[in-house]
Amino acid sequence: MLFIDLLQSIADGLLFGATYSLIGIGFTLVFGVMHKINMAYAAASVAGAYAGLTLLKLAGLPPLLVIIMACLAGAVFGLLTYVLCFWLIPLSHPLATLMSTVGMLLLIDEIVVHLTAGMPVNYPTVMGGMVSLGSFLLRGDLMFIFTIAVLAMAALMYLIYRTRLGLATRAVSQQPVAAQLCGMRLGQVNALTFTISGALGGIAGSLIGSAVGLLSPLLIAPLTVKGLIVTVIGGLGSIPGAIIAGLLVGAAENVFQFVRGVTERDIYVMLLLFVFLVFRPGGILGADPGRN
Amino acid sequence: MSIARTTALSAALGLALLAIPGTAQAQERQVKITGFGAMSGVVRSFGINSKAALEAAADRINRSGGVTLGDGAKGKIVIEFLDDRCNAEEGISVLRRIASSEALVAVGPTCSNVAEPLFGILQKKFGDAGDTGLQFPIFTDVAIKIGLAKISEWAFRNVPNETEMYATLFKWLKATKPNLKTIYGGVEENFAHSRATWYAVMKEVAAKEGFEIKGESKWLLEDTNFSNQAREAKKAEADIIAIAAHPFSTCGMLKEMARQGVKPKLLIGLTSSSSTETLQGCAGEAEAIIIPTSFAPINDQARAAADAVSKFKGSLDLHSGAAWENVFILKKIIEEQKVMAKPDTVKADREKIRAGLAKLTVTDGLIGKSKRTPDREAIKPYLFVHAKAGKWEVLHTPAVN
Repeated sequence: MLFIDLLQSIADGLLFGATYSLIGIGFTLVFGVMHKINMAYAAASVAGAYAGLTLLKLAGLPPLLVIIMACLAGAVFGLLTYVLCFWLIPLSHPLATLMSTVGMLLLIDEIVVHLTAGMPVNYPTVMGGMVSLGSFLLRGDLMFIFTIAVLAMAALMYLIYRTRLGLATRAVSQQPVAAQLCGMRLGQVNALTFTISGALGGIAGSLIGSAVGLLSPLLIAPLTVKGLIVTVIGGLGSIPGAIIAGLLVGAAENVFQFVRGVTERDIYVMLLLFVFLVFRPGGILGADPGRN
Repeated sequence: MSIARTTALSAALGLALLAIPGTAQAQERQVKITGFGAMSGVVRSFGINSKAALEAAADRINRSGGVTLGDGAKGKIVIEFLDDRCNAEEGISVLRRIASSEALVAVGPTCSNVAEPLFGILQKKFGDAGDTGLQFPIFTDVAIKIGLAKISEWAFRNVPNETEMYATLFKWLKATKPNLKTIYGGVEENFAHSRATWYAVMKEVAAKEGFEIKGESKWLLEDTNFSNQAREAKKAEADIIAIAAHPFSTCGMLKEMARQGVKPKLLIGLTSSSSTETLQGCAGEAEAIIIPTSFAPINDQARAAADAVSKFKGSLDLHSGAAWENVFILKKIIEEQKVMAKPDTVKADREKIRAGLAKLTVTDGLIGKSKRTPDREAIKPYLFVHAKAGKWEVLHTPAVN
């Protein structure tokens, strides 16, 4: 029975980890292109989910369309983040964009808190149900999120490796000066990257809202922390790495909770991050940065 | 000098005299009460409601003539509300700021994790010359963790006594639903109030009433995944599941319980969750949950107060209801203790208010009279509400006070 419980715990964690994967993909995509961390990403994703829900209610659309609404809102927030925190800020300053995105994170958090008075909002379930194999249960909505994460990865890989935009993105990422000399517009490519990652964030936010069943500003801080952990463990800039790391972190978190309890859970997750930083600093699929 | 010129000069002099600052104030003095609590962050709704209740109560008093001061003059209550972000350091800093102003008393804070250290910086024993702690009266409306007022003789609270409320609830359940024998807990481990309510209140009083405690699941305030906890609850097969958590994680747990088909015979919730937040987050899953509370609009007075607070963009619940009551209690004390509300009597006025609060043995409340205990706490009247079709409805009113 203990084994079944442990297995169930791993399965639940893996599936819930899909939500971390989606957030991790957004963090890693921006880092991959601009070599900058967008600390406001999870906050913008949750804000996208809120905006999507508001649009859905205003337009009186069916609940499933909340994902599309959140995707559109997320894209707008992504572009806004780029303009305010990157385009207007000198990119050469090592801390400027980091601090501006931290400021944006706090700003979005407080705006959401002020608009909602911090109250949790019921979020529509885009796909409910449980798949049961005896006493073993798998949540339908989390499997749906997992599928979306894999599809998002496939779509992004296609976009990056099979399209002109992807070619430009890679060129800007690897040799920004040479890319500009070849006629590519740095600002335009970066703006598009932020818009795409924002759209993905909107989808992630709405799926997380749907999985939790609620939206609350309380989601922002843990998602930011988990997104960063996933990005580092997966390998900075690696999209498949973010997916694997998301699932790994989700599963590890649930197993640590099952074995050691909720009060020790996060200690072990941080320890896992530390182990990666020491023994595999490049993450699961990232390039090894080497040591001094 | 011509008569016209003399008249004009006299009129000008009269107008100038009227315009001298202080003349009008001498006729109508200000009694400053400062509220403080969470106006930002995820518990902002508590601050919004407390502020609205304080302002609505002050407005009602001011409209009906204000407060009679020690020298017979009339004073108006002026409310200011400061944000402590539910953070202990900020709470202490806010209180020091309030104490350095002309405020005579403070009403707050929202969070128990702020109240506990905050009361710690107050003078412990009134009149102790060796204790240089802050000498400023606080009359708490929200922070509910049991036993906090005993920290300082300057700390007073008008919050419900959860031990008594849950003890009565379990006694009532035992009498009316004898088929319920076992209980399982769900506790938000990192929130002072939730934790104290499960371990020191619900668990203790349920055991005393003969309920078998089948264990508890733990989670954190900001958790989003409750799969392990719901599974543990399912395994426990308890008749009652008692959730000592705030609305966000209460709803998260209830939703996961619904997914996993955990169907206890009865759900019990935390006092603070008998709010619109819970119904806004998970009305369906929270259906029939029973919560003891010290406020519900059950009489004309309570309904009128709720209407008045809604005009100040707030909602009256067990916490903001206390803020409303506090203003009326303070009005009575100010009048009885002959508070002067002059700039040079601030220290003496604060001591008078403290003395007045300490003398209280019974106070008027929205749903009945509250008793005061020697350790400066309240024993408020209460009732049991349950969630029914997206609304809180009164289920039972115990005969108390």
